[in-house]
Amino acid sequence: MQPPAEHVHWLFATGFLLLGLILIAEVAVGPEVWRRRAWRAYLWPAIAFGLGVLLWPVMVFYTNSTLHMIAHGAWAQVLMLGGAIELTLVRGKLQSKWWRLGMTSVFLVSGAAFLVHEQNSWFFQRSAFLHHLMGWTLLVSSIFPLARTIRPRSQVAATGFALMFVAVAVMLYCDRDVAPVFGHISPLAGAPHR
Amino acid sequence: MKRRLLVVIVAALVFPAQAFAHATLERTSPTFRERLPMSPRTITLRFDQYVKVLPGSVQLFSATHRLAVSRIWTDGLYLKAAVPKLPRGPYTVRWHAMSGDGHVVSGVFTFGVRAAAPAATDAFGSSGPTRTEDFVRWLYFLALALLVGGLGFRLLVLRGPLSPRAEKRFFVLAGIGVIATIDAGIVAFILRAEDALQLPFVRLLYGDLSPIAQSRFGTAFIAMTLGFALVAALLFLAWLTDRAVLLWPAFLIGLGFASGLSLSGHSAADPGSSWKSELADWAHLSAACLWIGGLVQLTLVVWPLMPEVRRAAFLSFSRLATVCVAVLLAAGVYLSILRLPELRDLWTTGYGQVLLVKIGLVGLAFAWGGLHKLVAVPAVERGDGGGMLVRLRGSLLGESMVGMAVLLAAAVLVNSKPPTQPAPAAPAASSVQR
Repeated sequence: MQPPAEHVHWLFATGFLLLGLILIAEVAVGPEVWRRRAWRAYLWPAIAFGLGVLLWPVMVFYTNSTLHMIAHGAWAQVLMLGGAIELTLVRGKLQSKWWRLGMTSVFLVSGAAFLVHEQNSWFFQRSAFLHHLMGWTLLVSSIFPLARTIRPRSQVAATGFALMFVAVAVMLYCDRDVAPVFGHISPLAGAPHR
Repeated sequence: MKRRLLVVIVAALVFPAQAFAHATLERTSPTFRERLPMSPRTITLRFDQYVKVLPGSVQLFSATHRLAVSRIWTDGLYLKAAVPKLPRGPYTVRWHAMSGDGHVVSGVFTFGVRAAAPAATDAFGSSGPTRTEDFVRWLYFLALALLVGGLGFRLLVLRGPLSPRAEKRFFVLAGIGVIATIDAGIVAFILRAEDALQLPFVRLLYGDLSPIAQSRFGTAFIAMTLGFALVAALLFLAWLTDRAVLLWPAFLIGLGFASGLSLSGHSAADPGSSWKSELADWAHLSAACLWIGGLVQLTLVVWPLMPEVRRAAFLSFSRLATVCVAVLLAAGVYLSILRLPELRDLWTTGYGQVLLVKIGLVGLAFAWGGLHKLVAVPAVERGDGGGMLVRLRGSLLGESMVGMAVLLAAAVLVNSKPPTQPAPAAPAASSVQR
């Protein structure tokens, strides 16, 4: 009775897209305007935290392989942790700007989990390609949360950080696609079955 | 070169496929733990991708030995094996197949012919819990005590507002407890799967865990992971918003989901178990967590950071601990009698010997707690326990250490097999009729 894996990917893609768009909006209007309503500051960290909580059912219900389970467990934990740290910073319970490194570690751990859990080469099939792409994108773009930590007012860092979530959302939307026009990259992966 | 790379990337995004990284088992015939009225002719496994046959791709075992499989072949997405006519009994199927990506995917499931099939965790070849599993179970108990006992202490003993430092330390300890509970649960599940699948580590990474997830143990793992993830979220929100009221649902959910251990262990699965044994097991575990977790909070939060409330907290905890010890004792005695119907089982069986060690440690912990109750509590109540209060920290630490040792013995006990119960005598009339 589980939903198809692609539906779950799309759900999370929507979450990341929303998160990215909120961050873009904040960059566009500037943090001063954005935070005129106090609740807006909590919006994106709360979504990140909520997505982390929602990843737990994915981990426990999709147990088709150990690697898959461990990777989803890692994503659930780091996303909850990253969201929690950002929420706490907004609330003012944590003051040091270095706590923002928490989001850098989210990117690094998530990227590493994508690469470790995908054992196939880049061009084996679409999902393999996207797992590699997402893994490297997250690892390389961890520079943005790092820059955001060191230079909190940097527009480039904030924009890069926001666009990263949009990019991850697009890749997640592409990761599991059942449209009939699409096919496998490698014939070794077998024929599409749905 | 750049243009070529760009074309490849765009092509990869435009021509997607939805296939998983490696083949996933979608269904089997017989199904997991199916009870068949007669012997099957073939065993069929359906995957989501094409798979290749390997030598010994499908291995069939009776309750005692491996059986010959005459032919194994693939048919599209199906892997099939012809099996001989099987007499009544439980059977285990171990399968391996090469996925399209070249990785070997593996799994195990059981079925029965005119007989009940065991859970995948009890499949043929599984050797049962190891010392590593005992250790992980112990960590699980400790984490649960830190979480549930900590929350119980905060809500039932330290009800008022705390100093910022004490509040922070309480949340750090409870936070460590909930994260460790979730992670120890994941490790315990993987270790159980490793034993059921009988695979080396690298192949275990591609092992299909779904039959283990469908066992009683797996169901408890799923429920408890989700429950404690919710507890983690509530705990964090309670700290973030300074709303101690959120600790109540966290405490109650934590306490409730701790029952997963009772609903999947000896008290639920062994002969003679009933709702009463499950309830007793849960009460036993909950009382132990409240007692030991409370001692940790008293030692690490109240004593060093809140000297002004030491007296009140100590007296209040003493009342809670008395109730916990009473519940612990009553439930423990009931469960011991249930699992060891003969007194000599205590020294003649492995389970009984571990229980003896646990009883010894519990006796030591009770004696230590009794000393606090009979000597320290009256002195503190009289108000002449100033020096006593200072010295008490070391003593409370010692008591909590003994409590942790009790949990270690409990972890070994939970993973041990109780002696088999004597079968009830069959009524004479029914044996004549047969």
